[in-house]
Amino acid sequence: MNVRAATVDDLAGMQACNLHNLPENYTMKYYLYHALTWPSLSYVAEDHKGRIVGYILAKMEDFEEQPDGAPPASDHVPHGHVTSISVLRSYRRLGVAKKLMVQSQEAMATVYHAAYVSLHVRKSNRAALSLYRDTLGFTIKDSEAKYYADGEDAYAMQLSLKP
Amino acid sequence: MPPAAAPTTPQNRVLPAKDRKAFTELLSQYESRQLTKGRKTADQILKKFPNHGETLCMKGLILVHLGMREEGVELVKKGMKSDLTSHICWHVFALIQKGEHNYEEALKSYTQALRFDKDNANILRDAALLQTHLRYFDALVESRIAILKQRPHVRHNWVALAVAYQLNGDLAEAKKVLEGYERCLKYVPEHDFEHSELLLYHIRILEALGEYSEALSMLNTHSKSRSIVDRVGVMEYRARILSAQKSDEAANAWKDLIAHNPDCYSYYKSYLANQGIDFDHITDENRKQAVDTMKQFRDQDSQVTAPRRLILTIATGHDFKESALSYVTTAVAKGIPSLFSDMKSLYGDPFKQQVLEEYLEDIRDGYIAQQKQPSSKITDLSPANYLWALYYLAQHFSYLAQYDKALEALDAAIKHTPTLPELYMCKARLLKRAGDLYGAARVMHEARKLDGQDRFINTKCGKYRLRAGLIEEASEAFGRFTKKDAVSPMADLEDMQSWHHILEEGDAHQRNGKPNIALKRYYAVEKMFDQYDEDQYDFHGYSLRKTTLNSYNDLLKWEDSVRSHRAFIHAAVSAARIWVAVHDDPSIAATLQDEASAAEADKKAKKKAKKAALKDKEEDSKKGSSGLEDKGLEPPTPKDDDPEGIKLLASSDPLERAAKFLRRIAEHTPRNLDVCFADFDVAIRRKKYLQAVQALARARAVDPAHPELHVRIVDLRKTVSSLSGSIPEPSGSVLTGTLADILPEEVSLETYNSQYLQQHSQSGAAIFAVARVYRRLGSPREEVESLLFTALGDQNELSIKTALEIISFLRDIKSPRVEEFRVACDTRFTLSTVFKNPEDLLVLRQLAINTEEPADSEKADVEVVG
Repeated sequence: MNVRAATVDDLAGMQACNLHNLPENYTMKYYLYHALTWPSLSYVAEDHKGRIVGYILAKMEDFEEQPDGAPPASDHVPHGHVTSISVLRSYRRLGVAKKLMVQSQEAMATVYHAAYVSLHVRKSNRAALSLYRDTLGFTIKDSEAKYYADGEDAYAMQLSLKP
Repeated sequence: MPPAAAPTTPQNRVLPAKDRKAFTELLSQYESRQLTKGRKTADQILKKFPNHGETLCMKGLILVHLGMREEGVELVKKGMKSDLTSHICWHVFALIQKGEHNYEEALKSYTQALRFDKDNANILRDAALLQTHLRYFDALVESRIAILKQRPHVRHNWVALAVAYQLNGDLAEAKKVLEGYERCLKYVPEHDFEHSELLLYHIRILEALGEYSEALSMLNTHSKSRSIVDRVGVMEYRARILSAQKSDEAANAWKDLIAHNPDCYSYYKSYLANQGIDFDHITDENRKQAVDTMKQFRDQDSQVTAPRRLILTIATGHDFKESALSYVTTAVAKGIPSLFSDMKSLYGDPFKQQVLEEYLEDIRDGYIAQQKQPSSKITDLSPANYLWALYYLAQHFSYLAQYDKALEALDAAIKHTPTLPELYMCKARLLKRAGDLYGAARVMHEARKLDGQDRFINTKCGKYRLRAGLIEEASEAFGRFTKKDAVSPMADLEDMQSWHHILEEGDAHQRNGKPNIALKRYYAVEKMFDQYDEDQYDFHGYSLRKTTLNSYNDLLKWEDSVRSHRAFIHAAVSAARIWVAVHDDPSIAATLQDEASAAEADKKAKKKAKKAALKDKEEDSKKGSSGLEDKGLEPPTPKDDDPEGIKLLASSDPLERAAKFLRRIAEHTPRNLDVCFADFDVAIRRKKYLQAVQALARARAVDPAHPELHVRIVDLRKTVSSLSGSIPEPSGSVLTGTLADILPEEVSLETYNSQYLQQHSQSGAAIFAVARVYRRLGSPREEVESLLFTALGDQNELSIKTALEIISFLRDIKSPRVEEFRVACDTRFTLSTVFKNPEDLLVLRQLAINTEEPADSEKADVEVVG
């Protein structure tokens, strides 16, 4: 699979891929917001026809992200966050998710000096959990009750980007 | 035109000092969204001066914010009438129009407002955003200059002017502005992302100007000083510029990128391009060099797959065999399910297809032999190797329409591993291709039961049900992963802009004889793209502030052709077909209307109960809102009083609607045949003959022998030659000229048609086209029928789709031989069920929907991500 940085042209394909794979979906504007705020953090995998078969949609959690303009917590450090990552079932077991993640993390560290990267995962999603923990080296930092719209809890996971 | 600005304030605008003060207060109350206070202040003023235009407008604006749109707009209009030279009145009017997304009119109002207050910063800024949105780049430059003159110390006003010049195609001026701006910059914080983006944008402009050495030295300076923080960006710019300069360093620059991301195909392709090799058009002269280069990359790192895969695309003969063997052996050993999807693009070459088939059969047969003689140890193949080889072969034979062989492989694989969802998914796809839509839906559901947690299989399960016309059952499937609080699963998918789902459902309704609901779905997709288009508005300002200007340029380009997306084309073409059908036969709409009113009586009782429940809910939410909060300037979405599309389908102007839907795509997708034909079908009925002939000329450039083109060429000639009056010049001669190019005037339609048949007598689709032309030229029915039956000849290529179209055509011409044709198809397409009689179909349908749900605990524990 061809793995490359995502551009605005890819967003509709990423959105379609997300809707096929995951229950957490977003309208185009949210994808645009990512692409026009953190243009170097999202990556796609495409097949030989140029169809998007996997993507990582990522952002930074920095000072501006504090709700209501409240001052950042004193221990706050800029860090990356994976909004969404998925690969079409027919393209799994190729290590695509890992490749996408690695490229995105590298950009988080060099462009934004991110100290670590975080993400959320459904407690019931064993497959994803094992990918993040066993393949990508994330650890569970916390558990967030009723994080998802349907009432399911999430694990908050993190991976340090410091060498 | 009246004078640019009134020299004195008109009498009716002047307020006494006290009220003047109140009005200023009103403005600031509005600015800070103290809407109820503002409304009171306005009322105070209006008590004394009921015709004070500016106050009327401000009150109207506030009412709109408070959700009293009609009353508010009425007041604004009244205010405008009493004071047409006030910039405030025009500004308010512009805000209302902008809220309604009526951008053209809003910009006109802003322009009026500026005539009476040419330096108003807010109005200038809003006008600039609209000028960008509407692509009036000339005017945008003027606005940006005016804004910059007012506030030269605001950093992003400089950036905004540079962008305006660049968008207007004046790169030299854009460059000057950026240089001026960068000279004035005194302090830039360290590691500043926005500044970094600006520098990259500047370099991109230099590149576009062809000033490569300047671009490169700027890139080098700022990457060394770490002002540019995007490391990959720097590497890519560098490689690109060095290549453009034909520099010796370019090769290494691309190599650096490959080392950084060895899975990015374009880096390899650029590396080759730099050696003068076009990867997508390899010649026999440069093939060896290209393959050898890729082999070098392959040998540097055994973990990397991209060069190994790219070799397969360009290599031939022995090189291909050798590389393919190691590629597929590794993939089968690893158990990579996507191997076939990965290899499929090589199947254009029969040799490669044959080699791959042999390799996979070797693995299968090797394992079987090994099982028979375990002691001989001929090969070292595991059961997993055997399984994945079977899975590949099943997909391979299914793709080649060798269904028996594919099923044989699948049966063996399922016997071996009955819990692998992929095998059932593959079988379902095979059945779908072979025309057993109910069977496909049933088997896809089997697959889903093996992994209930995976939305991907679930999506397929719903999609296959739609293909079989099981619309309610599909919605039930989709509903497992849509939001529980949504009105319906499809409503959630529509909100989430899932055009894929909505199009599939629309098509299913169309096939089920509900063109009304199908139309609603196609228009829902149109709306999604309207929203995509609309989405850019907020980014005209946002991107300038964030300085993400390269991405912003991508955004504008994407938006300019957003409606050439395949989903939009699908929606537009399908809707146009329905509109054409309704135009040709208005009874379609009338019949559905009758059915609907009959059904209405039944449903009424049910609906009443539902409505009451809904109303309660609505009132509850109304109570919560108390009518005081800001509802913004966008009008609320009106309630849909035609959810089934019955009224829509009965519209009096079907052709105009079709033309409107198609309008925006033909120019962006001149080579899409579906668009050409839809465009033609609508144009010829609207008597736009020039447009019709141009659509055919476009289609002809793509595929001159296409059966659907053949039918339309005849149609156009026949229509044009029967016109009583002549078509006005210059269109008339262009029309006859273009038509004569396509079909010389001296060739009669009969000759043309029989020549076409001779050339394509083995194609079912061509035979069907010729039969339609027979009919158009008035041949007797028996002749048309016997021609159509030749499509069933053993040697002839006939698709299920064409066979179904022929049956429907035979029905239309009231042929007594419909059944005969149907039965023949049923025999010919062995696996297919679409040619069964209605009673048999009913049984199959029941089988497809009688599926037991697994309990949650039964969800298989299968690896699904990775």
